Amino acid sequence: MSVRQAPVYQQGGERPRADPDSDGEEEALANNYREQQAYGDGEDYDLTRSVSLGSGPQDLQAQLQAAATPLEYQATLETKIQSYDSYCNLFHFILNSEGPVDIEVPSYYWAWDVIDEFLYQFNSFCSYRQRLAYQQSSTQVNEDDITVLRENPNIWGCYSVLNVLYSLIQRSQISEQLAARKRGEDPAPYAGEYGSRSLYQMLGYFSIIGLLRVHCLLGDFSLAVKTLDDIELNKKAMFARVMAANFTTYYYVGFSYMMMHRYADALRAFNHILIYVSRTKNFQKGAQYDSITKKNEQMYALVAICVAMNPTRLDDTIHTSLREKYGEQLSRMQRGGPEALPIFEELFRAACPKFISPTPPDFDNPQLNVDPVEHQLSIFMDEVKNNMFCPTVRSYLKLYSTMDLTKLAGFLEVDSETLRSWLLVNKQRSRQVRHSEGGLLEGDVVNSNDLDYAMQGDLIHVSEAKVGRRLVDWYLRNLARTY
Amino acid sequence: MGYAFDTCPDRPENIDAILNGLDRYNPETTGIFQDYIAQQCESQTYDCFANLALLKLYQFNPHLLQLETTTNILAKALTVFPSPDFSLCLSLLPPHVLAQTKNAQQNGTAPPSGTLAEAVQLLSVLHTQLNNAQYDQFWDTLNGDDLYADLVADVQGFEELMRVRIAVVVSQCMQEVERSILESWMSIKGSKFENFVKEICGWKIEGEKVVIPLNKENEARSSVVRENVKFEQFGRMVKRAYEQPA
Repeated sequence: MSVRQAPVYQQGGERPRADPDSDGEEEALANNYREQQAYGDGEDYDLTRSVSLGSGPQDLQAQLQAAATPLEYQATLETKIQSYDSYCNLFHFILNSEGPVDIEVPSYYWAWDVIDEFLYQFNSFCSYRQRLAYQQSSTQVNEDDITVLRENPNIWGCYSVLNVLYSLIQRSQISEQLAARKRGEDPAPYAGEYGSRSLYQMLGYFSIIGLLRVHCLLGDFSLAVKTLDDIELNKKAMFARVMAANFTTYYYVGFSYMMMHRYADALRAFNHILIYVSRTKNFQKGAQYDSITKKNEQMYALVAICVAMNPTRLDDTIHTSLREKYGEQLSRMQRGGPEALPIFEELFRAACPKFISPTPPDFDNPQLNVDPVEHQLSIFMDEVKNNMFCPTVRSYLKLYSTMDLTKLAGFLEVDSETLRSWLLVNKQRSRQVRHSEGGLLEGDVVNSNDLDYAMQGDLIHVSEAKVGRRLVDWYLRNLARTY
Repeated sequence: MGYAFDTCPDRPENIDAILNGLDRYNPETTGIFQDYIAQQCESQTYDCFANLALLKLYQFNPHLLQLETTTNILAKALTVFPSPDFSLCLSLLPPHVLAQTKNAQQNGTAPPSGTLAEAVQLLSVLHTQLNNAQYDQFWDTLNGDDLYADLVADVQGFEELMRVRIAVVVSQCMQEVERSILESWMSIKGSKFENFVKEICGWKIEGEKVVIPLNKENEARSSVVRENVKFEQFGRMVKRAYEQPA
């Protein structure tokens, strides 16, 4: 099993994991790669390479540390490639040594940091490469960089990254362990030689979260949500112990739900984590908290989008912060109509993950390398446009219990044909799948709106679901206070 | 009605095994998935999760992409509107395809014929019309151009499937509807229409009106959400009552 299996796949060669020992292949690849690299700073490069494979405990510690440390912002292409290479070496060492490796990790959240940084670098490398290829005709770009990228299509390849994540998950048998825990059994018997060690367990576990992220970045939202089948989303989950992991998980789950048009579920995910953050922000210190501030803003933007698409009562804390941050935008989006479209676009762009394309860009046809963010944006905007007139229709219907179609059409200054279509659209939109139990992809079709209506010919009967007074709750609270 | 996106009652075991294993990334399984979608087209079944897996394989291996299979997947996704399947399929297509269609739309030109961009553009028009409940325009578009006939040719019973979906939407929203409106939405007339409405939908025709029996969705009954009181809530009170006898 090798980390660098990607090319094997692309040649349509061996099956993915059937061959446990494709070292020969890999050696060839590594040599090939070294040759390609040799024209550059060959000597220096070989040096880093030779130390990298576990030559001493100190080097290893440095390497573990490095894997969890972000690259500096201005890193050159060569640094990025080297970084990829050292990740490959590290994961190769962890996965393919004889028996499980026994290393001391620098901190309890080290495993998360490694997976997070690994994917962050993968993500930004792909975006960078794509942008470079797209801009090469219009602006002055570094020709050397393009040549290097052209000749090394497999650097930070999507297959290799997925392969690392899947290998870590398999080696640690984390899925089996989590499934056992879910059934209420002791996970230990399922852990195996590797999975019983916390290093593998943690790496495997966070690789699942990593997969969620990669699938979402690639635009495969249903598969992204499916990867969490074995993980129970609640405060007791293991990822909740690392704040950044907790945060990332809910962001991607919520976003994927949103792209699947399940706004109620998306809001539930965002709500959960935003409340958690607002309650604990006084205890969060330093770097960990800084890194989530940006994501926090992004999630509020997504909440605004979801609420505009699917009117819901929010938790009071969230509602107040939302008003502070995006009050203006929210009310414009809630009004609907064509004027709201640019706001949706702006917020989506600001809050979406940096989508990537799994294949290397086509350097010969720059115009083909469209930014995947634009791709996903235009798909989402189709949905927004479809929903555009719902707020108007709803605002009028709220005022009546019965209404004549032609009369309402007169108010709205459209013909009755159009209004009839709007009513059908709004009805469809109010029915969405909502999760109640079981896997995250499961759910029931429910009415997500408190306003409902039916048409009898041209007569519209409107009904509203009202929330009754909560008497028992009130009595109980007061009794508890006095009695 | 329970619903799980990743399951499908008609899915064969071997497909299920591929989907749940790592073979879903193996380009060699492309053929199996392609046969499976052909089979779905013929037998009027539908398995979105498997189709997305095939689109993902195409995403990773663009040279394997088959135009015909991709359009079949998209056409099949239309038959389950208003669910998000069509959008989810588009998300996995190469970004330049959609960009091409958007550019073409802005310039008022058509994308080159025989390309994926063309097919996507044509099917997107249908998708928009369906989601905007412009059913009469949908039928006009569909019947107005031979290109559409080619695009949906492989999907057995496409028109019939669409009529059933439209009927579902109508039944959620309406109790009574004029016959002429429904005829144009279904694009069938006369005895064919009567047959469809009575036999397949189970609705009644009364003069110029079609009466749809009440169901959970088209009732529009005002309701008050009442508090859900559980006995456990009183636990503390009951306990106190025992602890401190008056």
